[in-house]
Amino acid sequence: MGELARYLVLAALLFGIGLAGVLTRRNAIVVLIGIELMLNAANLNFIAFWRHGPHPEALTGVMFVLFAIAIAAAEAAVGLALVIAVYRHYRTTNLDQIEEMKG
Amino acid sequence: MTGVGYSDLLAALAPETALVLAAVAVLFVDMGLMRSAPLRQRFLTACAVAGLGCLVTLGILASSGAHLRFLDGVLVVDSLTQWVKVFLVVLTLFTAGISAQAEFTEHVGEYFALVLLATVGMMFLVSTEEILMIFVSLELTSLSLYVLAALDKRTRHASEAALKYFLFGSVAAAFTLFGLSLVYGLSGATNLTGIAAGLRAHRSDPLLAVAVVMVIMGFGFKVAVVPFHLWAPDAYEGAPVPAAALIASGSKVASFFVLAKIAVLGFAGVEGSGAWGQLRAGWLPVLAVLAVGSMVLGNLTAIAQGHLRRLLAYSAIAHAGYVLLGLMAMGYPSQRSAALAAVLYYVATYGLTTVGAFGVASVIERVLGNGRIDALAGLSRRSPLLALCLMVFLLSLAGIPPLAGFFGKFGLFTAAMGADPAGLGLLWLVGIAIAMSTVSLYYYLRVLKQAYVVAGDEEASRIVVPWTDRLVLIAAAVGVFLLGALPELLLGPLARAIAGGNGF
Repeated sequence: MGELARYLVLAALLFGIGLAGVLTRRNAIVVLIGIELMLNAANLNFIAFWRHGPHPEALTGVMFVLFAIAIAAAEAAVGLALVIAVYRHYRTTNLDQIEEMKG
Repeated sequence: MTGVGYSDLLAALAPETALVLAAVAVLFVDMGLMRSAPLRQRFLTACAVAGLGCLVTLGILASSGAHLRFLDGVLVVDSLTQWVKVFLVVLTLFTAGISAQAEFTEHVGEYFALVLLATVGMMFLVSTEEILMIFVSLELTSLSLYVLAALDKRTRHASEAALKYFLFGSVAAAFTLFGLSLVYGLSGATNLTGIAAGLRAHRSDPLLAVAVVMVIMGFGFKVAVVPFHLWAPDAYEGAPVPAAALIASGSKVASFFVLAKIAVLGFAGVEGSGAWGQLRAGWLPVLAVLAVGSMVLGNLTAIAQGHLRRLLAYSAIAHAGYVLLGLMAMGYPSQRSAALAAVLYYVATYGLTTVGAFGVASVIERVLGNGRIDALAGLSRRSPLLALCLMVFLLSLAGIPPLAGFFGKFGLFTAAMGADPAGLGLLWLVGIAIAMSTVSLYYYLRVLKQAYVVAGDEEASRIVVPWTDRLVLIAAAVGVFLLGALPELLLGPLARAIAGGNGF
């Protein structure tokens, strides 16, 4: 297995762990952590592809990752704010108990 | 790229700049000058400032003939993108109009600033052919919309809706980013034409299949197709009505346009085939599965809904399925221009109709206190105008001539029928679509029956519709009627803009 393939496997594993966390955990904050893992797995992909790609001098992958990190930070901020907004009404962060609208 | 100076960039980005300035102006006026004014006046003033910003932007869009292709597609401005931006700004203007009488939040300045910033994100989204810019503007739009959905702090349902919207949305964003990273790795490029060229060598790579599916999943969430639709009913029902209107209209228009761009330009050469009996791997069969699921599940679930906005959500899922038919037709080069014109006409008129329907819902919920369909009983007597507008919008959604929804569907279905040069390959999808449209007529008529036939409380007083809502509703209804009776008004300029563009 080449070096690139090893990075890709690691990224895929990270993505899978993040997705498993999102799907199985019921605490909204833990779900947020899972989403962050998924985003960072994609970042790892970008860096690996950039480093082992045909044009490592072009810095495309690094640019992409810098933007993605900033966006992930903004997303975490909005997400935590929403969790607080929900907690004010429901007094819980358990997603199974935040389920009043159905149909 | 040489020859593009800051003044050219500023000229090409003048509409976006105007909207950002309007967002800052709204914040300044509301938090500086109007801080101690009563809530009603603050909403009216902020709405006036935001509306003025939208009108100025429309003026700039109409008068500028800017043409720019910057850095291999990082920024693409031509007459087609200008038209889509006109749709977006008009929808934002109407959204601002139905917020004028709102009272759901004390953060008035932030509310209108976020509406305008979300629109700026959508405008950048349609104006780029580069995956980094697509991702950044997609997130600018999404993050603004998440916050807008949560702005009503009085009700539990708004925060629940916003959290669900956010969780589904950010998982979808993670899928999109992961898919885009694979696309970048396989093709070595970040602009869509470069990606198409780079992917040609990897047509049978399984990694490419993963990448295509993940990217389409991310956008499938934005346009709410089955099975990525779970957030839509809750967000449409729980979010403040104007915010839900923007989520349902403007963000759909922008997302469909960029999804079409990614599929047609970026994934050129990996179309596969969605024709009956000869499915071949590619993005066409993926869209075919999503379209069938959306049309069937959306229409059948809508029948059981008791809440007007929830019903609109399931109808939106069904309509997303119809639009996917147009996107599939774009996968066949012979039909590309006709299908693109049909898709754009459809999403533009659909957005207009939806904003109108949400406008009716906003007035009704303010007066009656709830948005259940049962509560509409006797509406035609309490407010003939509201009932008439509701009828125009719902019949257009159902696709009754001479309203815009009919010609939208007609265009989409003919484009899909003529798509496959080898025969009527997409006929099976068109058949499902037409059968499901018939089903949809039932639940739209059920709402209208409540409004027109079922006798309500005899004592109930007339509903007074404020002038701002009346203006928006009449403008939207007239628009839906005119564009349906004279579709050339929109289709003509769209066809010219498509012919003058880069084949897209």
